[in-house]
Amino acid sequence: MMEVDGAANKKAINKFIKRMPSLSTTVGKVMEICSRTDASPNELNKVISLDPVLTGQVLKLINSAYYSLLNKVTSLTRAITMLGMNTVKNMALSTAIIRSVSGAKKSKSLPTKKFWAHSIATGVCAKLLAKANGVPVMECEEYFVAGLLHDLGKIPFGDEYIDVLQRVQKEYLPLIEVERDLLGVDHQEVGRLIAEKWKLNDAMSSAIAFHHDVEAAPEEHRVRAAYVGLANMYANILDLGYAGDPFPAEEGADKMLEITGLTWDMFGEVAANVEEEIEKAQVFLQS
Amino acid sequence: MMKVKLWGVRGSIPCPGPQTMKYGGNGACMELRVDGRDEIIVIDAGSGVRELGNALVANDLSNGPLNIALYLSHTHWDHIMGFPYFTPIYIPGTRMTVHGPVSYEDDPLKDVVGGQMKYRYFPINVGELASDIEYKRLGEEPNMDLGDGLLLSTKFLNHPITALGYRFEYRGKVFCTCYDHEPYRNLFITDPDHPEYDEAMAYEGEEVAQEQNQAVEEFFKGADLLIHDSQYTAEEYKTKVNWGHSTFEWAIAAANRAGVKRLALFHHDPDRTDAQIDEMAKTYCEPGKYGDTEVFFATERSEIIV
Repeated sequence: MMEVDGAANKKAINKFIKRMPSLSTTVGKVMEICSRTDASPNELNKVISLDPVLTGQVLKLINSAYYSLLNKVTSLTRAITMLGMNTVKNMALSTAIIRSVSGAKKSKSLPTKKFWAHSIATGVCAKLLAKANGVPVMECEEYFVAGLLHDLGKIPFGDEYIDVLQRVQKEYLPLIEVERDLLGVDHQEVGRLIAEKWKLNDAMSSAIAFHHDVEAAPEEHRVRAAYVGLANMYANILDLGYAGDPFPAEEGADKMLEITGLTWDMFGEVAANVEEEIEKAQVFLQS
Repeated sequence: MMKVKLWGVRGSIPCPGPQTMKYGGNGACMELRVDGRDEIIVIDAGSGVRELGNALVANDLSNGPLNIALYLSHTHWDHIMGFPYFTPIYIPGTRMTVHGPVSYEDDPLKDVVGGQMKYRYFPINVGELASDIEYKRLGEEPNMDLGDGLLLSTKFLNHPITALGYRFEYRGKVFCTCYDHEPYRNLFITDPDHPEYDEAMAYEGEEVAQEQNQAVEEFFKGADLLIHDSQYTAEEYKTKVNWGHSTFEWAIAAANRAGVKRLALFHHDPDRTDAQIDEMAKTYCEPGKYGDTEVFFATERSEIIV
């Protein structure tokens, strides 16, 4: 067997992240919303937030040196209130346009729409679980964004990821194990690099970097990482979308339940709503 | 000691005439002088900056080339339209730095401000100016050390384009501007029966609005002089929501909450006559009526020692 060249893979990934585009198929929706003068803040918020890459990029822009805000902006609702509809509209629009014309490489191995469906399902599920468990309403939105962005680290992988996905299917293995084995790097690590690049806050970054290893997450962000980990597992097991991990390691589930204080019964309670929310989100996946 | 002179107090558009003789018809501009500092600080270049320029040429130029720091609250026209008529920019040797915010989608500050000086609008092109002008875009920054013990903090305000409030601190005294500014409010749908209603958005929108309003008050907390947007009465505001301006009622209440010592009501509506302002002053400026803050209507050419 060929030796894994982790260093070379990491180098390639770093290069990709440097010129990283996003994955949106909501460009058209964003453009439509932005061209209408009667679009409500709710609509704008919804359209952008259903696209994990765009959401990340808009937040990144806002937190960039351009505005040099004293406090980091962590949600679109906040961004729209503080900077106004127009600014956020324009940020989203220009980001989306730049992205659509950038023509950068896209991963052939993970189908975009299914990847998104998984991201949205995880986001929705994390939010609903948090809500069901009494997390303050305001924070629930950040759970949604954390869920949406949790798998960003899979985007930079190139054709070599096809081998990873095939082995997962063939041997019924958890994706992250195969990534480490075949590539010498996993999507959590890559996600953390993107989170750094996009200047996402620590809570968000921890959910991305530790949703498969929640116990390793910094203590103050462990609970959120655990919600995202459970939501991810839920979406994977129920085949809500596809992000390459249909056989996740289930050992960590009990620990995550313990950390969050959730029970399996609560998953039943949110199930109906998850379907409905994803249904709504599908509208935006149709380009 | 800081000395503030108001060269223009009007909002939207200059409105000279018999009905605005007392409070003044010129657009936003003020001059800040700080003890022992050569640099002349100017805030905004509304039409009032023309008279300031003339005064600087008459009184200061004989002491040597002018050194001017212009701080723009934002780039709406009523705050920059006086720039081409500011005589010092035509005088060789003048050193000027123009600081201000720029909205994300907009051109660089130099183009936004200097763009007025194109032949189609004005007989002199910005490239023909004899002075040395530098442009610096400003964001939200705390405690910038301007030298000589003068500190400057900036804060984003709520206006249709990016606007900044300025807080100058010198030897324990604070002079602060807060315009053009409308109180933050929840922009999201709050009616649960509305088809687009989203509980989380409605809730967070409310939280953020309150938090931001508090942050603005924190920004001008304890100011010895606060110049605050107050274009409308609470009644008038009902039809001007989202226009980016505050009410007298809001400005007075906020200043009191923040322990401001003196509040100048500023950015008068162009339709507001002297007689109306005199009448309003009876209500809004009555000592002790709304709290401890001393409230007065900003008047063109007035000087305030801070």
